[in-house]
Amino acid sequence: MTSSPTSQAGTAIETVKTDVLIIGGGATGTGIMRDLALRSVHCRLIDKQDLCAGASGGNHGLLHSGARYVLSDPHSASECREEGEILKRTSSQCIENTGGLFVAVKGDDEGFIRDFPALCQAAGIPVQELTPKEALELEPQLSKDIIAAYAVPDATIDPFRLALENVNHARELNDSTYHPHTTLCDFEIGDGRIIAAFCRDSRTGKELRIVAKQYVNAGGAWAMDIARLAGCNDVNLLYSKGTLLISHDRLTTRVINRLRPPADGDILVPGGTVSVLGTTSLRTDDLENVRPTIAEVDKNVVEGTAMVPALAHARYIRAFSRVRPLVQHGDDQNDRNVARSFALMNHEDQNLNNFCTITGGKLTTFRLMAEKTSDLVAKRLGNTEPCTTATTPLPGGQACKWTEPGASPKYWYEANNSEDMILCECEMVPQSAIDQIVLCAPGAENEMTLEAIALRSRAGKGPCQGSFCGIRIASYLYDRGYYQDTTGLHHMKSFFNERFKGLRTIIWGQQAAQMELAEALHCGLLGLDRLEEKKTNKADNE
Amino acid sequence: MTYEKREFIADLAVIGSGLAGMAASIFALKRGISTAQAGNTGALAYTTGYLDLLGDAGTGAAEHLGDPWAGIRELQKSQPNHPLARVPENDIHEAFTEFTSFISECGIAYGAPGKVNLKALTPAGTTKPTFSVPATMQPGVDALASQARCVIIDFKGLRGFSGRQVVANLKDRWPGLTTERVSFPDMPMGEIYPEVMARALEVPGTREKLADAIKSVRGDAQVIGLPAILGMHNPDLVMTELSRLLGCPVFEIPTMPPSVPGIRLREMFEQVFPKKGLTLVPQQKVRSVEFDTDSVQLVLADNHGPIIIHAKAVILATGRFLSGGLEAEQTGIVEPLVNLPVAQPTSRDSWYSMEYMGRDGHAIHQCGIRVDDAFRPLDKDGKVVDPRLFAAGVILAHQDWIRGRCGAGVAISSAYRAVQGAEQIILQKNN
Amino acid sequence: MSEAKTPTINFKQKAMELLPEGASFDACLTCGLCSSGCPASGLENMDPRKFIRMAMLGMDEELSTTPWVWTCTQCKRCQHVCPMNIDISQLVFLARGNWPKDKKPSGIVRSCELTRSTDSTSAMGLQPDDFVFVVNDVLEEVRETQPQFKDMVAPIDKKGAHFFVNQNSREPMSEPDEMVPLWKIFHLVGADWTYSSKGWAAENFCMFSGDEAAWYEVIKTRVDATNELGCAVWLNTECGHSYYTMWNAINRFGMEANFKIESLVTYYAQWIREGKLPVNSDWNTKNIKFTVQDPCQIVRKAYGDSIADDLRFVTKKLVGEENFIDMQPNRSANYCCGGGGGFLQAGMTDQRRAYGKRKFDQIMATQADYVLTPCHNCHSQMEDIGHFYGGQYQVVHFWTLICLSLGILGENERTYLGPDLANLGL
Repeated sequence: MTSSPTSQAGTAIETVKTDVLIIGGGATGTGIMRDLALRSVHCRLIDKQDLCAGASGGNHGLLHSGARYVLSDPHSASECREEGEILKRTSSQCIENTGGLFVAVKGDDEGFIRDFPALCQAAGIPVQELTPKEALELEPQLSKDIIAAYAVPDATIDPFRLALENVNHARELNDSTYHPHTTLCDFEIGDGRIIAAFCRDSRTGKELRIVAKQYVNAGGAWAMDIARLAGCNDVNLLYSKGTLLISHDRLTTRVINRLRPPADGDILVPGGTVSVLGTTSLRTDDLENVRPTIAEVDKNVVEGTAMVPALAHARYIRAFSRVRPLVQHGDDQNDRNVARSFALMNHEDQNLNNFCTITGGKLTTFRLMAEKTSDLVAKRLGNTEPCTTATTPLPGGQACKWTEPGASPKYWYEANNSEDMILCECEMVPQSAIDQIVLCAPGAENEMTLEAIALRSRAGKGPCQGSFCGIRIASYLYDRGYYQDTTGLHHMKSFFNERFKGLRTIIWGQQAAQMELAEALHCGLLGLDRLEEKKTNKADNE
Repeated sequence: MTYEKREFIADLAVIGSGLAGMAASIFALKRGISTAQAGNTGALAYTTGYLDLLGDAGTGAAEHLGDPWAGIRELQKSQPNHPLARVPENDIHEAFTEFTSFISECGIAYGAPGKVNLKALTPAGTTKPTFSVPATMQPGVDALASQARCVIIDFKGLRGFSGRQVVANLKDRWPGLTTERVSFPDMPMGEIYPEVMARALEVPGTREKLADAIKSVRGDAQVIGLPAILGMHNPDLVMTELSRLLGCPVFEIPTMPPSVPGIRLREMFEQVFPKKGLTLVPQQKVRSVEFDTDSVQLVLADNHGPIIIHAKAVILATGRFLSGGLEAEQTGIVEPLVNLPVAQPTSRDSWYSMEYMGRDGHAIHQCGIRVDDAFRPLDKDGKVVDPRLFAAGVILAHQDWIRGRCGAGVAISSAYRAVQGAEQIILQKNN
Repeated sequence: MSEAKTPTINFKQKAMELLPEGASFDACLTCGLCSSGCPASGLENMDPRKFIRMAMLGMDEELSTTPWVWTCTQCKRCQHVCPMNIDISQLVFLARGNWPKDKKPSGIVRSCELTRSTDSTSAMGLQPDDFVFVVNDVLEEVRETQPQFKDMVAPIDKKGAHFFVNQNSREPMSEPDEMVPLWKIFHLVGADWTYSSKGWAAENFCMFSGDEAAWYEVIKTRVDATNELGCAVWLNTECGHSYYTMWNAINRFGMEANFKIESLVTYYAQWIREGKLPVNSDWNTKNIKFTVQDPCQIVRKAYGDSIADDLRFVTKKLVGEENFIDMQPNRSANYCCGGGGGFLQAGMTDQRRAYGKRKFDQIMATQADYVLTPCHNCHSQMEDIGHFYGGQYQVVHFWTLICLSLGILGENERTYLGPDLANLGL
């Protein structure tokens, strides 16, 4: 399965070299990139979309204390506790140490309630029993019907910032490079080794050949497909789709978990200025068209309301879904019972000695997953430097700070510069943030879209979901000469299309008014629905 | 401390202060009907100033409609329940003529409705089909058509309007288009709003300073385009004066909200109507409507206490979600004021299509109040709810004003028919 | 100076508590109509939309300490133009009250303290005795020098009088002759009225300081004084906020007030309609142009357009229909001039004048020679911005023009007339 390094058009394909090619820009892939860069190993990271496009970006942003897994998976519970403690020490800029509560309401399984503290203690997780009254004093939005409450050291983590910081640090350490929108098309294989990876820029269609010494498959839910491209049939994944909702408001200070065996709509996690409610869990085979459904949204609201009644009337601004990969070991039909541990496969029994796959696991344990993978890769490279991510603080990159909810207005307010105009009024993102992001955020080497800017900031994350700021940012980028033709309009359109995917199922109440205004603007005023298709050589994005 | 309850008696009560409500009041005033109007201004503040009749009849055609009347005839066949399909063409024409001549007389001149759609400019550098444009925007339509050498002026501190963007997107079609940036006189720092600029241009001295600033950058342009800032109360005068100072036509392009054209219309209506004898309770939502045997009563309140309006007929023109005429609850769409049944999809899952900008738009926009040919709301069984109640504007079912580019068309035409119907009732009662 | 720390308010929570459901901060569409229509936008790098968003984003420390709350005059125009009807001014009031006293603008604090220092409730600290003395002294002089008014009265503490009349302290304190036109009008229409030695003053900077308890205390003195005299109507003379502060407080604090609260403007209109004030515009032979400033406190924030229509009715009768030019926007949509909310006393001159630029533009667009307004703060602010930005207009009270039109304006009662009218009818 080899191919010559010329494109179909017959022109020479650019070839670049690196020590390690990492496929997949989620928490794990970026974590491996940083881990190896700290050991002086040069990496290239590719993602067919952009950072955290899969499960890494599609979760609660919960840094588990481990308490959720004490019954179903005690090993994962201990792992979460240890990793949580490490991340709180080394990556504090990505973490809000909120604390968490487990609460039970009338009707919940009393046996589970009774056993819970002992199970936590067995996993080494500090747990403190609270009376319902004490819990209500801490979190006034809790239901008056709660019958039991425990405090645990849950926290929240911003996966986008984490990934950006990982990439940024790797770039600073040894010029390791990130290639967004770069699809892996094929491997060139020979003599029990991968010789090169053929990639394509999914927006420009430009092909790229990457030659590495080692290849790491950190494709998350796509890991099975990537492994198969390399001829490996030893990765077997199940896919579990989860849907979550974001409320306009932050409803609680702490993470609120339902004190019962894991089920739908049982976690409410503050995310800076908002709250994230979820999740549902459904087996799926479709990795590409993952979108929330009305039923999933309503299920979350109904279930969440039992813990926090205000969820029944909250203004929701977004719903999103993601597919979580579960490493298949048995035939248990309940995905929530599948072990949440990760799997690292060296593929040596598949006759490849420079390829490995890391998948499964969860956001909280991404560092450990990266460590184990990097250990294997380093050993293969003959690199003897030990992993240092457990102790090396993650430095804060200037262009990475804009993802933090509520932070950009603080920077802006302190600077008190009336010339630095606010472009996203909802989240108060000023033009200086946009400047910095298009100039030097990880991924800025390539052309940035509005979506890419939004991924690296809070732009478009507020109640209007980008409907105003998309227009203002595009105008601003035209002013700067960043856009010189209709590209800006197409970027606007695809940005609004993308935001709509998250809105579609939660458009009721106030959001219906917001949406009507948005559509009147985008179609009625700007005519974006009638935009002529741009003639480019844009390749299929699979 | 006691308040006197204020009661107003009118023949017609109009609920809603958007385009449909305003149009209804105009038609009523023209017919000498004593009228009271109340209601929060909702979406009117967001209008572009362009008055669309119909830009898309839902035939899937790639191009927008050049001839809106042909589109209406198409609707009569394919969507007979569409409000525009239920108003005779002559009435539509008459309604637009009455509406535009009324506001023209009030100081915001509009082009007389014609036979075809105009191709009007947008701040994105795209064009949109529309039926009647303010005089301040007409030279832009002409300049695009004639390919005149034109410079778009934009302003330091004005967000969301970029001359470069307009030029970048139109340059293939309009080679003589260029852009320049100037500072607005006496506003050197920070964010500035079109509303503030427009009001400042009502002052002769500001116009002179702006003209000087533009003169230094205009080059050999034959016509000059600006964001919509040409005055608030006297746009025609401001345009004429600025043209005179610059020695060439000037025009405006609508901007994103908060923008001038909607505020312009709202303030004009709020001043003109009371002068013409209409009882206007602006910016207050009607709380309830009661249908007594003798009269229909609107109950509302302002800072100074309760207000009751008694009328012989009522036009409901409360708009859609943005204006509060319809409310989307998690379980379904309701009309909160009179509790009329709302024609709507069976489940929320059908409200929105999967693709935001898909050609077919979204089913939620087709929902609304069902009416008979006289624009009287119907109950679940298809019977008239009350012979004194009429509905007008985008609250009506079976139309998508956004994708159809027919917001003003639906508002003005249905208001015209509703007033005709209300007049009949009032005449009966008065005899 | 002590270093009192400003406590932090939870603005989001307070908005949820204070504002009606569906019109609270979480209903905001972030469209920006509020900021577009607010003269305080840009001051201190803030505007109403930013205020709402910062509240929703939890920037409570910043909102608790931003000096912008003293540049927002709480004129409620943002609410007026908001499609969702969201009221920001209530939270601004809360923020003001939350500032430690020694950090608040000292002019406002001092005025409030002076108001509370005497039974007069005068922001200039004028004692009841002194007020009584000045009134009697001026009255005596008018009766002597203007024989037409030898029977004119200015009763004080007259029990059972129909009108309890308040008075802005500026007149008895520094321009006592300006009280006379008002008395003449009462005399002419045969009004049964009285001043009170207690609670006679109009101003209430305690409300502007955000000090609810002090606000209540001042109003209590006035309400008690009115109840005590048994007057049917508490009549607010040409002062804007004194009306609002009384009317709003009685509702807000649930006070027992056995009288109606009215503005003199509505009576001007009524007396003209009834023929009791036979004003006309015959004097305006030169077609001098006039415009009217609608005080927010009595128009948008209280009566609404009905009193604005009265203002126009009176003005047109006084100056001639053809000589009246409306400001744009006007009535309930009018801009605050920047004299409200205690801005004049706040010591923030640059910001106040920047705020007033919109008012100045509005006035200049009318090209009027005179601005009429029934509000002392509007009056002072419009004079100041006129001087500052180089406007040539004059600002006058209604009472001046009414008496001018009736040919009864005395020589000493013409402080605010320009040279074109200074000697008319003498």
